[in-house]
Amino acid sequence: MTFKDSLDRTVTIPPKIERILSLQPEITRIIVALGAGDRLVGLDYFLRHDDHLFRIIYPQESRLPVVSKPDDSVNKELVVRLDPDVVFASPSEFQAPDSIQRSLGIPVIALSSLGHFDKLLGEIALVGAVTGLEARAQELVAFFQEKIRPLSEHAASVPPEKRPRVYLAFWSSLTRTPVFYEPVNSAGGINLAENLLPSSLGSVQTVVTLEQIIKWDPDIILIQGNFLPNERMVMVKQVLEDHRLSSVKAVKSKQVFYTFGFWYWWDPAEVLVETLYLARMFYPEKFGRLDLAKEGEEIFTKFYRQDGAFSALWKLLNLHEWTRQ
Amino acid sequence: MSVRVNNLTFSYKNFSLHVDALSFEVSKVTAIVGPNGAGKTTLLKCIGAVLPIEKKSLFINGKDIALMRSQERAKHISYVPQEHESAFNYLVRDFVLMGRVAYVSPFALPSREDIRAADKAIEFVGLTSYSGRYYSELSSGERRLVLIARALAQQSDILLLDEPTTFLDPKHETEILELIRKLALEKQKTILVTLHSLEMAFRYSDYMVFMKKGGVVASGKPGDVFHEPLLKSVYDMEMKIIEWNDRKIVLR
Amino acid sequence: MSGQDSKKTQLIFLFFLLLPFLLFVFSLSIGTYPISPRGLIRTLLSAFSPSSFPDIPSAYRDILIRIRLPRLLLGLAAGAALSVSGASLQALFKNPLVNEYILGISSGSAFGAAISIVFLGRAFPSQIAAFLFAVAAVAAVLFIAGSAESHFISLLLTGVIVSAFFSALLSLVMFFASPYALQALFFWLMGSLSLASWKDLAISFPLMLAGLVLLLLLRWRMNVLSMSDEEARALGINVRREKMLVIGATTLITSAATAVAGIIGWVGLIVPHLVRLMVGADNRKVIPLSAAAGASFLLIADDITRGISPLEIPIGIFTSIIGIPLFIFLLKKTRKVWL
Repeated sequence: MTFKDSLDRTVTIPPKIERILSLQPEITRIIVALGAGDRLVGLDYFLRHDDHLFRIIYPQESRLPVVSKPDDSVNKELVVRLDPDVVFASPSEFQAPDSIQRSLGIPVIALSSLGHFDKLLGEIALVGAVTGLEARAQELVAFFQEKIRPLSEHAASVPPEKRPRVYLAFWSSLTRTPVFYEPVNSAGGINLAENLLPSSLGSVQTVVTLEQIIKWDPDIILIQGNFLPNERMVMVKQVLEDHRLSSVKAVKSKQVFYTFGFWYWWDPAEVLVETLYLARMFYPEKFGRLDLAKEGEEIFTKFYRQDGAFSALWKLLNLHEWTRQ
Repeated sequence: MSVRVNNLTFSYKNFSLHVDALSFEVSKVTAIVGPNGAGKTTLLKCIGAVLPIEKKSLFINGKDIALMRSQERAKHISYVPQEHESAFNYLVRDFVLMGRVAYVSPFALPSREDIRAADKAIEFVGLTSYSGRYYSELSSGERRLVLIARALAQQSDILLLDEPTTFLDPKHETEILELIRKLALEKQKTILVTLHSLEMAFRYSDYMVFMKKGGVVASGKPGDVFHEPLLKSVYDMEMKIIEWNDRKIVLR
Repeated sequence: MSGQDSKKTQLIFLFFLLLPFLLFVFSLSIGTYPISPRGLIRTLLSAFSPSSFPDIPSAYRDILIRIRLPRLLLGLAAGAALSVSGASLQALFKNPLVNEYILGISSGSAFGAAISIVFLGRAFPSQIAAFLFAVAAVAAVLFIAGSAESHFISLLLTGVIVSAFFSALLSLVMFFASPYALQALFFWLMGSLSLASWKDLAISFPLMLAGLVLLLLLRWRMNVLSMSDEEARALGINVRREKMLVIGATTLITSAATAVAGIIGWVGLIVPHLVRLMVGADNRKVIPLSAAAGASFLLIADDITRGISPLEIPIGIFTSIIGIPLFIFLLKKTRKVWL
């Protein structure tokens, strides 16, 4: 079989894939969701050491050896010893897909969704094809699309001037923002940073000046909340008390909230919950009745077939704080 | 005003200097001569406190130099190095002005007095028209004069000059030596100068000190000590002295 | 002494001492949020009595007083601090190629900022750790080099070694840091005036001011210190003590500037050179002019970063882009030798 990856490389893989090494957290989560978790032979550094969610949705991860290093580079010897049939990597220079493929002779597929749903769903389909679990992949894709549809249909019906203008303060800084974040768009909001950089660059983020934020005058400010509460570098309270932003609409009307944001790429279940959460935030009259706890539970169970995963996440990230309007 | 050396020692690596007792004639020129490596420059630097010395090694007017603070000591003794290398290029008048640093408190700028003193020093060495030129633009002879002017600006009674005539042509060599004599006669400075030229030392000094291998082997008035046997023992070489008028010429 | 020369020097002095003030006023009008000069004046006035100027949006006041003013003041102070520091150390080490970071300040403060960001997170402001480790690096250099009197070359060499050591430690910390922590660090490493708030300035500004005043007072002394140690000692200064004073002051102001603005390169090397090319090496002129020219230089660089884009571009990029060609141009233009 041959596939085209995110770097536009054409990769040929053997028909039967029994041993998979995924160095890309998003793909690892997808593999577990598809039910092919037992085929994983190794794990990347971040899911083992920095991620709080993965061990909840896939407790068996503790048996897997860590194959990448904190700086994202790959322990090639270990890869050889683990003898995977295929490797999934991030399209970054540290993981150097071509170099690994060339030196180890193992096919490497580089994937990342970079904030786009179609790419995320494409990944699910691709991994489904690689693992021979197309049916399950199709099921998840359809589920995802079904959940999103009412939101995006509603979003399309709202004229642009009426959509909430949102500024996303992601990662560890108030001024660092993603140039494309589809959950906001699908939920019917406008990501103010969206046209700052030409899309041909393929960058995920940029840093803006504080004045630019004030100039935009967002209706809502969303802060990345996926960090554990005591590790968050930017907090809602701090933004609300920042005198420099006192003229901003979002600050004046206290419309500053946490949202999940990127977390070593995406968790497909989590991002779905996030989109519902945002839709409810942006259009309370239309989606106010969404029961996030219930939806979250349903979505996580559908994806990971693990009870209580979402409520564990709820506790970890203090989600009850977020939903207090 | 007396300068007295008492059991001065200094050593580094393979060399050690030891001078038991030595007195220098006030308001006179004392020439220190000897072969290379005899310790002439080292002795000069010790007296100038450029190199650290032990207590009770050097007394000026009965005061122990080693106990004096740099600032005070600089008002008594100034030292003119053989050469000056610098990464930065100063104007002659700014260069000479630096000689006044002992009179300027750390957080102040030189006063009008200081500038006047520096200008007078420049005048004495005859470089007034060069005042606004850069040090690097001057010839070696002129640069030596600037170094001397800087030492003069210190207004110290004792002047130490290290090989001030080396590498200079005869005319400039004579100019500098005449200047040194003038300093002793007109300004009553006590001058110690190391020279490599025996003839010049004989001609221009009032007192001579012969050094060899880190010690003083002889000292006295030139007429008394400038003899062939002494020269031979100091320089390990046969030398012949020829007299002409009252000058002495050394032939090897 | 040429009368024309001195007239020219006076004009240069006048120009450079006025320049920072003019630039300061001009820079107030630059930024992503458009405020007209008239709007600026009315905003400043409205700060005293908001009720008389009801049409001035509060955003104007926030931007002018809470964002631009502290940023510009930091630019002035850091520009002056880095330049004077570079000029002073160049005199001290008798080497025009020395920069203000030579004794380990950049590596030390980078390491301090890194361990603070990575291990302490938001619990501890990284500026304090950055400052402390910068000072610690210099202290280490002084300690290791021992009696630095007649071995000033070893002070430089020790500075290089200690810098390398802290750089290695920094690499180690960065290796283990999560990519999210690293992002905050990268920005600081490239230098930016956007990182500082009034609170930061309240502490670092007085420190920089104190050190600058001290170095300004010592400016004539630095001429003497730029002589060989032997000559300086013969001329009557306590070389060791005065060197320590200069090193202490330059460490204070460079660490204070770097702790809040990150590492901004080239300022301490280029500005003093430019100044010497214009007025010669006499530090009575070089030090104050370096302060003024450095402040102006940084303000201009920051104006460019703020004016060309809504993106926050690190200022270190511009100090190199402007500084290096400017340096080459002036070098070729003048035939005066300052070395």
